[in-house]
Amino acid sequence: MSHQPVELTLNHCIKCNICVSACPVAAVNDLFPGPKYAGPQAGRFRKPGQSTPDYSVDYCSGCRVCNMACPNGVKIAEMNARARHTMVSQGKVPPIQRLRNNLIARTELLGNLAQPVAPLSNILLSNPLVRGLTEYMLGIAKDAYFPPFARQRFSRWWRGRKTSPLRPAPNGSWIGGEGKQVVFFHGCATEYYEPRVGRAAIHILEANGFEVIIPPQNCCGLPLLSNGEFEAARKYHQNNVNQLVEYARQGIPIIGTSTSCTLTLKEEAPELLDMYDADTHLVTESTYDFNEFLLNLLAADKLIIESLRPIPLRLAYHQPCQYRAHGLGSPAVEILHLIPELQIEESHADCCGIAGTYGYKKEKYATSMAVGQPLFDFVLEIEGPLAVCDSETCRWQITHGTRLPAIHPVELLAYAYGYETEGALADVLVKS
Amino acid sequence: MKTIQTELLVIGGGATGTGVLRDLAMRGFDAILVEARDLAHGTTGRFHGLLHSGGRYAVKDPQAARECIEENQILRRIMPQCIEDTGGFFVLTPWDEPGYADSFRRGCHQAGIPVERLSLTQMLSEEPLLNPKITHCYRVPDAAADSFAAAHANVASAKAYGARVFPYHEVTQLLTNNSRVTGARCRDLIADQAVTIHADLVINASGAWAGKIAASAGIEIAMHPGKGSMLAVSHRVVNTVINRCKLPADGDILVPAHTVAVMGTTDQQVPDPDRFAIDPWEVELMLEEGEKILPGFKDLRILRAWAGVRPLYQETKTDQSRDITRSFVLLDHETRDDTPGMLTITSGKWTTYRKMAQATVDLACQKLGTQRECRTHLEELPMEAGIQQAGSDHHNLGQRLAEIESHHAQGQLICECELATHADVEQAILVGEAKTLDDIRRDIRLGMGPCQGGFCTLRAAGILHQYAKNRRGHSVEETNVALRDFLEERWKGVLPVLWGKQLQQERLNELMYLNVLNIDTLPGPKSSRLAAQPYADGGQKTEDGVQQTADRKPSKEKSRHPPSDVIIIGAGLSGLTAGWQAARRGLKTKVIAKGWGATHWASGCIDVLGYLPGETKTPVENPAAALFKLIVAHPQHPYALAGIETLAAALEELQALCQQAGYPLHGRLEKNWLLPTAIGAARPTCLAPETMIAGDLRTNAPMLLVGFDGHHDFYPHFAAENLQAQGFTARAIMLPIPAALNRQRIDTMVLARAFDDTEFRQQIIESIKPHLGNAQRIGFAAVLGLQDALRVARELESGLGRRIFEMPGLPPSVPGMRLQRILVQAIRQAGGSVHDGIEVVGMTDEGQQATGDSVLKTVISKSSSRLISHAADHFILATGGILGGGIQTDHTGYAQETIFNLSVDASTQRNEWLQRAFAHPDGHAIFNAGVHTGSNFRTERPNLFAIGGLLGGDFVRQLAVEGVALASANKSVAKILAENAI
Repeated sequence: MSHQPVELTLNHCIKCNICVSACPVAAVNDLFPGPKYAGPQAGRFRKPGQSTPDYSVDYCSGCRVCNMACPNGVKIAEMNARARHTMVSQGKVPPIQRLRNNLIARTELLGNLAQPVAPLSNILLSNPLVRGLTEYMLGIAKDAYFPPFARQRFSRWWRGRKTSPLRPAPNGSWIGGEGKQVVFFHGCATEYYEPRVGRAAIHILEANGFEVIIPPQNCCGLPLLSNGEFEAARKYHQNNVNQLVEYARQGIPIIGTSTSCTLTLKEEAPELLDMYDADTHLVTESTYDFNEFLLNLLAADKLIIESLRPIPLRLAYHQPCQYRAHGLGSPAVEILHLIPELQIEESHADCCGIAGTYGYKKEKYATSMAVGQPLFDFVLEIEGPLAVCDSETCRWQITHGTRLPAIHPVELLAYAYGYETEGALADVLVKS
Repeated sequence: MKTIQTELLVIGGGATGTGVLRDLAMRGFDAILVEARDLAHGTTGRFHGLLHSGGRYAVKDPQAARECIEENQILRRIMPQCIEDTGGFFVLTPWDEPGYADSFRRGCHQAGIPVERLSLTQMLSEEPLLNPKITHCYRVPDAAADSFAAAHANVASAKAYGARVFPYHEVTQLLTNNSRVTGARCRDLIADQAVTIHADLVINASGAWAGKIAASAGIEIAMHPGKGSMLAVSHRVVNTVINRCKLPADGDILVPAHTVAVMGTTDQQVPDPDRFAIDPWEVELMLEEGEKILPGFKDLRILRAWAGVRPLYQETKTDQSRDITRSFVLLDHETRDDTPGMLTITSGKWTTYRKMAQATVDLACQKLGTQRECRTHLEELPMEAGIQQAGSDHHNLGQRLAEIESHHAQGQLICECELATHADVEQAILVGEAKTLDDIRRDIRLGMGPCQGGFCTLRAAGILHQYAKNRRGHSVEETNVALRDFLEERWKGVLPVLWGKQLQQERLNELMYLNVLNIDTLPGPKSSRLAAQPYADGGQKTEDGVQQTADRKPSKEKSRHPPSDVIIIGAGLSGLTAGWQAARRGLKTKVIAKGWGATHWASGCIDVLGYLPGETKTPVENPAAALFKLIVAHPQHPYALAGIETLAAALEELQALCQQAGYPLHGRLEKNWLLPTAIGAARPTCLAPETMIAGDLRTNAPMLLVGFDGHHDFYPHFAAENLQAQGFTARAIMLPIPAALNRQRIDTMVLARAFDDTEFRQQIIESIKPHLGNAQRIGFAAVLGLQDALRVARELESGLGRRIFEMPGLPPSVPGMRLQRILVQAIRQAGGSVHDGIEVVGMTDEGQQATGDSVLKTVISKSSSRLISHAADHFILATGGILGGGIQTDHTGYAQETIFNLSVDASTQRNEWLQRAFAHPDGHAIFNAGVHTGSNFRTERPNLFAIGGLLGGDFVRQLAVEGVALASANKSVAKILAENAI
């Protein structure tokens, strides 16, 4: 699909203030002057080559609520991301902050270092002394919630899986199951923290007769993009395109459960990095959100929905802002409605506040929590045993804000498909 | 009458006049400058802002080229604060004569203009949007100059040397004595009195008006005013001056100036420097020529068009005014006309104004029998204290943003587009002695950005009023007329380029000023003697409009959504109402919208009919009765199609919903409220939220209006004085924001959220108490909470013992947002869904054999990586009119419904779309354009309905936006239900 260049969309702004009324960050923090100012207004004063005049735009969390509210299609969040990139590349972000940003934005590096020594790293990450020290030295908010690393990473589990033997495929991929092929993009959260989400997704795919291919893959690069580290993000994205394009060429869909990873593959990375080559485009066109994919199967009468196990729970569901930005409506809700007895209460909250790495920064932590407060209140009001949300950092933020566990919708569906579920959902279902 | 004596009188406050004044003052003369309007009001303020390198004249006029490069270097030295060193390119496009490149380079060398050939790769890396088909590119030292700032700087320097400056002093007659010019009689337009100035020598520096001035002393000067028109693109598409490498012609320069890029110019002789209009052919020509320099130019948002009049002079008549030499003309009327006492300096270019001034003053010295050396090229111009524009290098793009950023002044912005702050406006009034909003504009670029005064006009008027009201005899009527003058001045310049986004923008401005604020009813004349002169008639004929169809090809791979009974496209009041009515009646309903809708812009009241079409003077008292009249006169009006019963039922149902939601709407169809707006005008409306009705102006209970420091959208004193001028009892106070709120930036949203908090409300109650006096009711801007406004109002009422009311103003509309939230929640509770960020771009359909009708099967929306199809039995289109984006227009006169290309009953002649006045009582024809429907709001497709703003009629001016939305929504849903029942 053709894309209008980000900067030229500032032409469409009629200054109507709808984005200002929608912005959850400007609502709670004076340091962010609001999307209209930071995007289309300031955009008229930016030019290549000048020493960037920007500071306040760094307080944009990148949630894209403004884009969704704008009646004229101004790509405000993207303008802000680019302005931040200019700040970073001109050295306007203080070196310690930049070091910190690079640390928390390199989820893959973090995972590779810390996951193998998981028990130790988990103890360290939850140690108040360590956290106090990392806040003092690096500016990583000491109260922000870091999820525990998994004992076994997802890709290792996949390759050693007992149920159905895997076959090696070219490029280091591994294939399991039988039937029409799909590629699974698991993302860093499933790989290092929550492999249960990936296992649930694979169960559903295989139950519907798909052969799942998992190629080697990198972080999607979104954390780097939202920290203005475009060059590093480009490397990741290019690697992913190289790994995935062969499948895309064969018409094999690429499916992901992390709604921010899939949004990055679909739109964020190509758009922000100006990557409009044929390969990138092909990957873009072949990438699906997991529930979007299921919904298409449903529409074609190809999704198995007979004899789904009932789940007699009333649960709060939050659709992440990054998921809304897919422009798909609420596919997860439509899929969850298929599960008998399950009662889903949509939060319709703007944003949980975490915005990827935003809420991990000392100077932004309070804003992040204030943005999330209406969501936390909603989740607590529903009084369910856990909350449901598609994006990992949002789940962690909900857990942090409510002390309730949060799961991916795919875990509920996998249970409905007869899968012996794990983690918090398993605990809840055992109790009920 | 006032009489003043001086040595030298300079007539004209443009570049030349201010340059002459400075030179005179520096050489120790006693000098006065008079200007008919504000400084730089004439041609100086209306050119493209190019500091020539001389390249443009390198081939054709070597003398002019040499003068340019010499002066270019001097001006860069003496007024760096007024010059942005953009550099310039001369580019040879496929449309230009290839041989010119060599002559150009030779000419530059001969004139001493540094010239460098650039590789095309280099050119594109510096200016990526330029046409890749360009074959040659040369770099020269062109630059962008700020002529307003330069005029101010010259004046500041002159004043420092003792000169005096009288703006708004129009010369009515030169004084003569024995065929010697002895001075001039002027009219002081501000004080409205005559002023006589006697001088030893008069210097006529009135540019294109030189002939008119001289004629009053019986001297004939044959000026050939050459009109040059220019277009401004809404942002800097280039950061380098781009010239076509060819002999000077129309539309061959693109200059980055401040935040815009100026395309210029045309050249056409006009008989009178005061009578020139921008002709449609000029606009089309510049779009065409712009396209050659920068592909895609035609689709850019054009912000404004203006014309300046070149002061060209030649003793013998000529037809091709560009061929007249640009070297200046200095006339000694003693030798030329036997009329001593006056010199005329005219013609020339902005770039050489200093040299012209030097020559003039040299001659003046000779006339006065003294010899004094020119030093204007040696001494830097001062940074004029106070005026932001001239005070620092604001001319450099990014500088204003850098200042706002480093001072965290975002909360102080008055003109958000051009980043002008409250302090800047104050300085322009206090130091710059601005009298009109247009004067403020020239000083600080107020209102010069994309919204063209939409948001800052009210704010600047509020501030101007605050300062002016202390002046003896100043009345609120004067502020009102200043506001009106400015809106009309802005309109004048956008009129030639109104299509697409800018037309949408102007419709929003119209909604704000002529609907929500209802300024037309404010006391005071419609325009003042200080008003900007409209461009005299010239019409705006366009070529026959070409019917275009949007290129919308759905791609192969689509995601599919489960089918709905009804899909509603658009989430304004009409879309949400339809969604709610459909969902609560059991239809599987989905509302999809690109973004949020007009609820956020409108008053938050439910207007049914405020004014009958064309009768903007008399507000409707009884809508029910007026509706009968309307329906008879306009049988195609949506009210006629829907029927009054449908409307009445729709109102009742919405009232019931809002009542249930704890936000009651009061009123009835038989009686309009007359409620005060945030500017103090009376506004007729049918249903109003409980938080507004205590403001009803059908009673005269004394009012106290409360504003908050730092809230730039509400000026309670201005509003209160407007109410007083209409016979009401009203007072105003400004309250400081309680420190506990801890906010630097106080906008409408911040206040609304603050009022949601009990503690904040208590603090406000306490701070109002001492001011209550005789007030029986207390008015606020419409900011009394987002969550539970009724509770907020009641708490304030019980705490203060007075009725409380809100007054609607600039967007975002908090009362509108409350309605939107109630409706969205109601849709969801009824099992429907509402999704924003979903733009519908196409559809699939199927022919029906029996009827030949084309039935809509799905609508197609854009998602992040593919198209999505949404199937339904029925579709309701509620995308709004031109304002909502439901109707698209372009420069060729194309106007059609945006998604389905439904035809719209608009003229294909763009010149027939708009009136010459923004607030014209008849409204603008294009805004009456709508989609044709049958009586059930069914379009040409049997299962597609169109409702709300898409329908034909100027509901913004009729104050009927909400009533039409509700009636058409209800009627279309009723029809769908009836069909489903069969």
